[in-house]
Amino acid sequence: MSTLCPPPSPAVAKTEIALSGESPLLAATFAYWDNILGPRVRHIWAPKTEQVLLSDGEITFLANHTLNGEILRNAESGAIDVKFFVLSEKGVIIVSLIFDGNWNGDRSTYGLSIILPQTELSFYLPLHRVCVDRLTHIIRKGRIWMHKERQENVQKIVLEGTERMEDQGQSIIPMLTGEVIPVMELLSSMKSHSVPEEIDIADTVLNDDDIGDSCHEGFLLNAISSHLQTCGCSVVVGSSAEKVNKIVRTLCLFLTPAERKCSRLCEAESSFKYESGLFVQGLLKDSTGSFVLPFRQVMYAPYPTTHIDVDINTVKQMPPCHEHIYNQRRYMRSELAAFWRATSEEDMAQDTVIYTDESFTPDLSTSEAYGGNIFQDVLHRDTLVKAFLDQVFHLKPGFSLRSTFLAQFLLVLHRKALTLIKYIEDDTQKGKKPFKSLRNLKVDLDLTAEGDLNIIMALAEKIKPGLHSFIFGRPFYTSVQERDVLMTF
Amino acid sequence: MISAPDVVAFTREDEYEEEPYNEPALPEEYSVPLYPFASQGANPWSRLSGAKFSRDFILISEFSEQVGPQPLLTIPNDSKVFGTFDLNYFSLRIMSVDYQASFVGHPPGSAYPKLNFVEDSKVVLGDSKEGAFAYVHHLTLYDLEARGFVRPFCMAYISADQHKIMQQFQELSAEFSKASECLKTGNRKAFAGELEKKLKDLDYTRTVLHTETEVQKKANDKGFYSSQAIEKANELASVEKSIIEHQDLLEQIRSYPRRKLKGSDSSPGETGHTQGQPSQAATPSDPDELAEANHFACRPAYTPKLIKAKSTKCFDKKLKTLEELCDTEYFTQTLAQLSHVEHMFRGDLCYLLTSQIDRALLKQQRITNFLFEDFVEVDGRAVEEQERTPPKPSQDRPPSRALEECPVPQVLVTMGSYRSSVESVLIKMEQELVEEYREAEAAESSSFDPQENLDYLDLDMKGSVSSGESIEVLGAEKPGSVLSTSDSQASLMVPLSPRVVRSKAVSHRTISEDSIEVLSTCPSEALIPDDFKASYPSAINEEESCADDGKGAIRFQAGASPPELGEAEEGSSEDTLLQTDACCIGKESGGLQVPLSAPVSALSDEDEVVSVPPQRYRQKDQSFHVDFAVENASASSQDNSSEGFPAYELDPSHLLASRDGSKTSLDDCSDATSYVSSVASASSDRTPSAHATGPSSERHKKRAGQNALKFIRQYPFAHPAIYSLLSGRTLVVLGEDEATVRKLVTALSIFVPNYGRCAKPVKHWVSSPLHITDFQKWKLIGLQRVASPAGAGTLHALSRYSRYTSILDLDRKTLRCPLYRGALLPRLADHRTHIRRGGTYYLHVQSLLTQLCAKAFLFAFCHHLHLPAHDREAMEQAASRQASFLQFNLGLVNEDAKVVRHLAELLRLHYTQEPPSTSQPALRFDYVPSFLYKI
Repeated sequence: MSTLCPPPSPAVAKTEIALSGESPLLAATFAYWDNILGPRVRHIWAPKTEQVLLSDGEITFLANHTLNGEILRNAESGAIDVKFFVLSEKGVIIVSLIFDGNWNGDRSTYGLSIILPQTELSFYLPLHRVCVDRLTHIIRKGRIWMHKERQENVQKIVLEGTERMEDQGQSIIPMLTGEVIPVMELLSSMKSHSVPEEIDIADTVLNDDDIGDSCHEGFLLNAISSHLQTCGCSVVVGSSAEKVNKIVRTLCLFLTPAERKCSRLCEAESSFKYESGLFVQGLLKDSTGSFVLPFRQVMYAPYPTTHIDVDINTVKQMPPCHEHIYNQRRYMRSELAAFWRATSEEDMAQDTVIYTDESFTPDLSTSEAYGGNIFQDVLHRDTLVKAFLDQVFHLKPGFSLRSTFLAQFLLVLHRKALTLIKYIEDDTQKGKKPFKSLRNLKVDLDLTAEGDLNIIMALAEKIKPGLHSFIFGRPFYTSVQERDVLMTF
Repeated sequence: MISAPDVVAFTREDEYEEEPYNEPALPEEYSVPLYPFASQGANPWSRLSGAKFSRDFILISEFSEQVGPQPLLTIPNDSKVFGTFDLNYFSLRIMSVDYQASFVGHPPGSAYPKLNFVEDSKVVLGDSKEGAFAYVHHLTLYDLEARGFVRPFCMAYISADQHKIMQQFQELSAEFSKASECLKTGNRKAFAGELEKKLKDLDYTRTVLHTETEVQKKANDKGFYSSQAIEKANELASVEKSIIEHQDLLEQIRSYPRRKLKGSDSSPGETGHTQGQPSQAATPSDPDELAEANHFACRPAYTPKLIKAKSTKCFDKKLKTLEELCDTEYFTQTLAQLSHVEHMFRGDLCYLLTSQIDRALLKQQRITNFLFEDFVEVDGRAVEEQERTPPKPSQDRPPSRALEECPVPQVLVTMGSYRSSVESVLIKMEQELVEEYREAEAAESSSFDPQENLDYLDLDMKGSVSSGESIEVLGAEKPGSVLSTSDSQASLMVPLSPRVVRSKAVSHRTISEDSIEVLSTCPSEALIPDDFKASYPSAINEEESCADDGKGAIRFQAGASPPELGEAEEGSSEDTLLQTDACCIGKESGGLQVPLSAPVSALSDEDEVVSVPPQRYRQKDQSFHVDFAVENASASSQDNSSEGFPAYELDPSHLLASRDGSKTSLDDCSDATSYVSSVASASSDRTPSAHATGPSSERHKKRAGQNALKFIRQYPFAHPAIYSLLSGRTLVVLGEDEATVRKLVTALSIFVPNYGRCAKPVKHWVSSPLHITDFQKWKLIGLQRVASPAGAGTLHALSRYSRYTSILDLDRKTLRCPLYRGALLPRLADHRTHIRRGGTYYLHVQSLLTQLCAKAFLFAFCHHLHLPAHDREAMEQAASRQASFLQFNLGLVNEDAKVVRHLAELLRLHYTQEPPSTSQPALRFDYVPSFLYKI
């Protein structure tokens, strides 16, 4: 391994990235544990700025230390662990994803890290999950890459009898670059366009004198209802940034402050890219009046998404959480398996291209079941949002009456969600027994309307992940398997 | 031999595989699980069960220069908590990620060692195999005997839930920073003390060496120095240098408060030492320095020791314990803070998150919180204070909260160091208890005194009010006030005292089909009967002519009722809502625009019925309102017994009878003669219930929920009982056994709305006769049935008020109260519910009551409902509009609408009243027919 080591610091390879806006990210690093020299930095990514806040030496010092103690690493096979540092002495925060991998014949420990100034702590924390999820997936692919590369290198060494040091161990960097840059762009866009923690109700549809003043009554009801049914995760598209942002803000009223900070307004001039994992995001249609959502990234969002088009007043939603997670996992597994099967460097490189143009659609029977479109109409009506909208406009706008009424509505939803969790917890003895009677639950908790149950379940899913799969998963998986078997004949 | 079908089968199996090629399948370690939440036995709760410890705990570890990383103590100290979890290994792991480059050395350009006051670092890391994740707070303490003078420590919050740690990162960081500051402050003081001692030792050593050198010089007459003398001289020089170095270190450690603390909050214990004693070691000008100096002033005189020339640093020396490093007091405070942290973050993340969301949302709806929310939890300032306040350690008083809740942690390495802290905890707890007791006593006496002082105001309300229909009395009076009424309807109009400035009554009809209402708001000092009579001799305006439709509706009204006069005073307390527009109940006419003082002065001079439009309502103004309506005059004369108890029940001796009780069905045609007595209750029963004063604990809530669940399952008449509570009608729970009564009262108290900023109007146990004011103060009363002549008075008094109250007789399993027909309570209290646990039922009730509050809020603040559509709109039309709104917009009919109206009325009163909790709940009697329910 030592022969394959890059030259020592400060001669660490560095990629400078030009970003259009302000970058809260100071740098990203890729480090590994050298069996002889200890932690070493392989690559640094940094935004191209005039003012250098952290020198390469400091970045290297920090990145090396992310692997401190990892010689004791005791992780499950394939685990990607997250470490989070707040170093007041250095004034930085570091997020490190630590993983094991085979590279050039040796099994070692690696760390992919991003470094931000400590002043951005409250900005970053709501986005932590988004960043970690995205970096985790690229690491999964990177590990396969590293593994495949080792095999190829061994073959080449055997065939050619020589080592091509300059080529080995380099190809993971472009792959990581392919995700580090979007993460930097995401953080940059969030810095300028994230939804504020506190929303003035005057900037939303709920400030209208009467329901239907800004948008059609049925559309608003569908939008809010579906938004809540999909765990507060929505994409709002339209041709007018103002119109889009009004709906974005309206939907964000139904989120917690932390979730709002993980939502993004629409850019006035040109559209942002869709970002997987944000709660609400506004996107501007192009000149042709369309916005194509990247299928893969929508699938990789942690929750199902509601698609709202403010131009034509349509609301579509993805299937509920348990189905979404199942589809997502199948998609991920298919993608990783395809990656694993790639026989040549060209194939793997091809995959990178596939990633960027989003045309990669593996064989997913579930997506076929939706006719290739995972968005469907809002099927289940609710009484909770309907009653709220029927009532809230009776209160005079311009005061805090509607805000108070909204807070009461949200409190009811959260309390119902907690009651539902507790009910299931009691009924199943904390999951030890299967949940039997959904009908009883609906009657007991006054959730007989299907839409009401969906809304409360979606809220409960956010605070108790896995609840959907626990309640609805088994019959769903069984039906999917039965369908798969039937389709083979 | 393999047959053809077998081959086909094998072939097909191959086809099902994800890998259609001959290549090896993707190793699982490179893939993702297909069913992240549904694999074998996995469920939302099981993913946390992989850890070897049973619940979250706090670990303090040290990087010892002798043995390396080692665990020092855990919080809580129960070894069952961390179970078989390897604390040694985990200490090694968490201590190996320390970023603190703290060192003491000779930086360039400096002749002496420099202390580095490093910032704490915070790390979140985990051990996915062990299922253990930790928030680790690294800090460095100073020790004169340690290598480089530094001792690295860390405090770790260890949990099986990684998401919990990340989602609570900022809260954890803030709480641990408080603990760290406490430790570091104590350490600086201890370190300074250590340096002072060392300086004294050095000074003494120098003196000794100097003396010895002088002696040798004198003894030396050979003209050259002996090797011994040279050695002594070198030693002396070394000591001199050491003195300078230590003086410099002392200066550095003392300069810390100036450098670091000025910009930030001083640590909890910092201020505790700032008073008092004169400085001994130095003459610091800074209060902090003074404080630190004072810290040592009280110590016993120190006897300097001779320091040997050879360093004693070796591995057999004993390093100081954490307690010695930080001073016992600060150490104890830190443990208390950490216990508080452990308690604060204990439990499932979903409950933590929900409670945080709850609090945030409740802060936005202060106007309705008083109804059903726990005050301590919802009062934003109180919550924030609670959250922000570290265990406020005073000089000798560690925070008792956490210490009461959590056992003192166990020291793994040095057990002895805990002794003092334990002792101090016990002493402090006692002090705390004594203080609390005294406070309670003071509160009791303060709440009781006015009552005693006003005893002379107690008035017998002799006679009876005979009616088969209903009378409603609404009153608001100050604590200790006594509402007196007399034996006739007219005499219910108690004259106001001439000494008290008050608004005058406005009397006119309101729309009411079947009720007689007496509404009043008046302060206690106004309740002198004669005065009342003088002011309102004709306040009740009987308008018999209105009984024109054959139903004989009769209505009496005196004064402006709160609903009618309820417009808020402009610019009053609530700043979030613009009152004049927001709170619209009672806005009925142009009279709204009349200046506040005008009607008051005008009316005060009139002794006759005033039929002007209702005036602006002002909390301090006293008003009185009577609204009698008899739906069916003829019926009232015939059915005059329908309201009260049957005669045999009203007879105290009968109420004292055996539990098998009466089998007689409801007799709602009997006439009831009620006596309103002014017999005061025993003073012991006047004090607020202990149960009602404090915030409900989780256990209390669960227990209340469980008992409520039992109640609705056992008693088929749970709905009307709960309806009574929700609609403001006092429910008396009568029984012999105190425990049973208390239990049920506690259970039912979750349905009782609050009436102000004071505690819930619930009296768990009364053994003395009830008084009219008890119904004003308490909406749920547990009443003792005493099977003795002494108890006759109690039941006699109860029988007098029986028409105004609902009575749940636990011994006979009967309930007498108005009928309930609605859709709300079957959802709130369904006896067929599958909810099993009290805690869950409590949550269910809470969510439905929140929904109810929202409806009441909407009804109360919906401007177009209460404002007249046009100048000449009749009140009937407005009332009809309101009824229609309740029915069609809120989906409320019959008694459900009454509940929402009542809650809206409470909201309005609460909103328009001034902030101090001086007002008593409205006294309201409903003369609606009661029914007797039996099991």
